[in-house]
Amino acid sequence: MSEPTAVAPRRGISLDVYAVSLALLLALLVRLNLIPSIKW
Amino acid sequence: MATSLSPSRPAVLAGPAGLARDFVALIPGLLLLAAVGFAGKFIEQSIGGYTKSHHITFPNIEYVLWAIVIGLAIANTVGIPRVFQAGVATYEFWLKAGIVLLGSRFLLGDVLHLGGISLLLVAIALTLSLSFMHLIGRAFGLKPKLTSLLAVGSAICGVSAIIAAKPAIDADDEDASYAIAAILALGAISLFTFPLIGHSLHLSDKAYGLWAGLAVDNTAEATAAGALYSDAAQKVAVLAKTTRNALIGFIVLAYAIYWASRGQAEAVGNKAAFLWRKFPKFVLGFLLISLLATLAIFTKPQLTSLANLSRWAFLLTFAGVGLRTNLRELGKQGWRPFAVGAIGEIFIALVTLGLVYGADRYLHL
Repeated sequence: MSEPTAVAPRRGISLDVYAVSLALLLALLVRLNLIPSIKW
Repeated sequence: MATSLSPSRPAVLAGPAGLARDFVALIPGLLLLAAVGFAGKFIEQSIGGYTKSHHITFPNIEYVLWAIVIGLAIANTVGIPRVFQAGVATYEFWLKAGIVLLGSRFLLGDVLHLGGISLLLVAIALTLSLSFMHLIGRAFGLKPKLTSLLAVGSAICGVSAIIAAKPAIDADDEDASYAIAAILALGAISLFTFPLIGHSLHLSDKAYGLWAGLAVDNTAEATAAGALYSDAAQKVAVLAKTTRNALIGFIVLAYAIYWASRGQAEAVGNKAAFLWRKFPKFVLGFLLISLLATLAIFTKPQLTSLANLSRWAFLLTFAGVGLRTNLRELGKQGWRPFAVGAIGEIFIALVTLGLVYGADRYLHL
């Protein structure tokens, strides 16, 4: 990001909801053993 | 944490076609984040492997620091071409997803215990920090709304708090952009200084993590500052910072009411709706995953997988921290706002360090 700028609030689905959805989906896939174990 | 995708990117994606177009636009920047993050991990492992095989004693420099330094070097030399910017801006998305997944490493009891201590310390630190920032802002002759933005940014939640507060107090774009640049630069400085101070004071992982979570502005930097100390410190830093983030709505509401009472911002209608709008929803995701882990919904290997997924998400975040920090931006408004921010940060760091010492001694972290 070369120039940080401020933005006005917007309507619609927020970033938080997308991030939580992805995290919960991944947790579900891990719980159901639908993805292999994740290494670091 | 606010709800926009980044300081410079809209969060709202319109319709399936718009969604697909937006996703494609993210790919170059995502690849850049991954490349910088992997480069950091590769350098850490290479140095570690070399020093070990040659029996050289050398402190382990975490991938976190390498990723941030590489990002800073790119952003402040060649710059980030436009094609990469949308993808780089997703670092905050990965941060939030990583924090939610990190909830799996907490039992709900620990969250309530440490979160309760954090809440108490945050309330004390907030009161002192906001008062102090306004005092020095006045002493340095800054515009009152710029001072308000710097105070909110340094006392609560960095960039996201500034973005949340800006429309609520009807501040100028220029003031908000400057406050964001100053907070980002100060956050980058804290990444290098906090671990050094923590080690020199022999702080425990919990005490250091709590300090980083209470004092470092942005959630990404607070997470990185914790990770630079230890894995356990990172956990506590994220929890303390998340507690701080949860208070964002109350502080922004207080400022909105203050400026409205002076006729310099619109009056707030439904206060409960205002609070909910400003509340960082990812905190709820974090608590939900923590609850599931507490209920033993996941097996031990599954918890390890979730923790590792969180690490991968943070790897992308740390790359973004360096890539979005432009130090040249600071030269544009002179030294005074930066000085106010820096003095405020030092004050907050000292106050919170004192609070953490007290909590460690009397509340048994």
